Amino acid sequence: MSKVGEEITAHFPEINTHRIDEKRVEVNTDKGYLLSLLNFLKDGGYDHLGLISCVDRMEDGVLQLVYVLSRYAQDESVPGPDPTLVVKIPLSREEPTIVSSMGVFINAEPYERELYEMFGIDFTGHPRLDPLFLERDYDIPPLRKDFDTRRYVTEEFETIPPVED
Amino acid sequence: MDRRQLVKWLKEPLKMSNKYSLHVVYFCTGCGIIEIPPSITARWDAERFGVKPVATPRQANLFLITGYVSLKTLKPIIRTYEQMPEPKYTVALGSCPIDGGMYWDSYNTINHLDKYIPIDGYIAGCMPRPEAIFTGITHLWTLIDEGKADGYERYRERYQEYRSNQERLYGQLEWPPLYTGRDDDV
Amino acid sequence: MEILRQRDTGPTTRELELYFGPQHLGMVGNFSITLNVKGDRIVSAEANPGYLHRGFEKLMEERNWIQNFPLVCRVNVIEPGSMEMVYSMAVEDLAGIEVPERGEYIRCIYLELSRVASHLFGLWAYSKMLGFETVGGWAMYHRDLILDLFEELTGGRVYNIYIWPGGVRRDLPEGFIGRVKRTLHEIGGKVPDYNKTFFENRVFHERARGIGVVGKDEAKEMGGTGQVLRAAGQEYDIRKVDPYGVYDEVDWEVHTREEGDAYSRIMVIRDEMIESVHMVFKLLKDIPDGPAYNKVPNPFKWRIPEGETYVRLESSRGELGLYLLSDGGQRPYRAHFRTPSYPHGLTVLEKALDGESISDTGNIMISLYVTAPEIDR
Repeated sequence: MSKVGEEITAHFPEINTHRIDEKRVEVNTDKGYLLSLLNFLKDGGYDHLGLISCVDRMEDGVLQLVYVLSRYAQDESVPGPDPTLVVKIPLSREEPTIVSSMGVFINAEPYERELYEMFGIDFTGHPRLDPLFLERDYDIPPLRKDFDTRRYVTEEFETIPPVED
Repeated sequence: MDRRQLVKWLKEPLKMSNKYSLHVVYFCTGCGIIEIPPSITARWDAERFGVKPVATPRQANLFLITGYVSLKTLKPIIRTYEQMPEPKYTVALGSCPIDGGMYWDSYNTINHLDKYIPIDGYIAGCMPRPEAIFTGITHLWTLIDEGKADGYERYRERYQEYRSNQERLYGQLEWPPLYTGRDDDV
Repeated sequence: MEILRQRDTGPTTRELELYFGPQHLGMVGNFSITLNVKGDRIVSAEANPGYLHRGFEKLMEERNWIQNFPLVCRVNVIEPGSMEMVYSMAVEDLAGIEVPERGEYIRCIYLELSRVASHLFGLWAYSKMLGFETVGGWAMYHRDLILDLFEELTGGRVYNIYIWPGGVRRDLPEGFIGRVKRTLHEIGGKVPDYNKTFFENRVFHERARGIGVVGKDEAKEMGGTGQVLRAAGQEYDIRKVDPYGVYDEVDWEVHTREEGDAYSRIMVIRDEMIESVHMVFKLLKDIPDGPAYNKVPNPFKWRIPEGETYVRLESSRGELGLYLLSDGGQRPYRAHFRTPSYPHGLTVLEKALDGESISDTGNIMISLYVTAPEIDR
């Protein structure tokens, strides 16, 4: 058990953590705890939000949000490199909504915009949830597993006739 | 200058000066742009061939489309191409504009660039080396000489088809058609 | 200056929207910024990426583990080496492949060389933007010398795919170490000239000092890494914080500056280039004998056990991470790159442009080292 894992469990008894290997600690929680957990971790020195990602687990009907957190300053009380925290939050695939974490980390903004675009996750409280990368609208957000990119290309781009032979 | 070319200069001065002053529009459309800075600086020195980047499409007559074209980039490409004065030439760099290359199954890149704007030549490779770019440029000279680099004429002739292909991608385009089909176009 | 300021706030000046890029002389890469300007001051800026979006993460789910190598190295065109490395590290972590000692050394040498090449490219862009054509020409030539080494190593000038799960693709060719040293001596011999014409030049000082200041706390708040953070005084380098390869076995130091402006960011890049060259010499001295790679399984039938990983390394722009998931199949289940330009170009850039002059937009953007393909992926 890592030091940060113990701290989390001591503060939030409902959240379970486990150490994957010496470089990573996994934290599993649900969306109600997100802001209080992020605030707690930021105050505890985990002040670098590296990445917000999402995994589409279609067979479980779950979109799993992944927050990767690490430290800017080395924790002096623990020897060796500090572990990276991987916080996982499941969302329902039909109506994925979660509160925006921009109040805690400013750089969550583009990540949340991207996930809104690529997975269709609605972040409540985000000031500008408009398209970031894409030019056209896709019926299914393109990074979801049921979006078939090859079929899309055949149906949309290959059917356009060539002008010359 | 080659002496034997003197006759050509006297016969077709416009064509010759077009050929030897290919001004490239400064637009990095894809990853092929990584070989352009070496090509235009001291080691490879594209200015030997009269190739020089210029700031705006209004001053340019060569459009190097460097690499894959995403949906969002194609729109500025069409805009830029239509703003260039004639005669204008387009050369696509790399494998991706030919048939999609390694991004053939991407939902956000178009596969055949010549469905949307006319292309005068392709330089294959990923990336094409600076030598390949120069070979492409000198080959473009030959095409200009023989009158085969006529992409802008084809664009004018078959504008309706190009425009309808563009609109199949984007829906209604924000800018008016370049050519309306009336006599004053030509 | 006083008159200008008065004019700015005068009642006749309206706020107007200005599109900067993607086709613009001051823009490096296919990227666009929407500026709201009043007079020539920027009131607010909004980054508009996506011109290079290819959907890498979707394409990686469609290709098997080895087929993904050509894809990942195209995420960052300017420095493909670190992209190969981060993917290899993730695959090794998932599949449990060990790398021999010599392989790690060769990897670090290759990574440091590509870091120097990438910094020289950045120096070309920056000095050319300030009007130093000569320095830009030198930098591009010296980068080409390094690319020649890569070409000898792999046959490719830009995309090498040299780093491979289990080590590198093949051992160094005969006499290669000597040629690396000779090239680096040639580049190092030019450093006094670079200093005299560019880094100690008053024009550079006056055009870069106090431009685009990003403070230490501000940078940390916005997820900044790399030069953005080190120029503001925070000693943060993944090679020290979370060592990989053999970076903990070589003696080297992290260079920082205090001011956090464009000037200090460029100076950090300069110091890092010199440090990297020194590091390559040390690595070449200590390089052990032995195998350079371990064999990987048949790539066409390669299945990687179920699992997930997040690995990170220091690319020339900052912290580069990869979140990679395997469901036990022949292809990745999900991959997501954490690229350093992402927070720099979308969050830090918008803040740094506030209140600056329009003519400094390119200056700030290049000094933040924003690379468009890395943002869009």
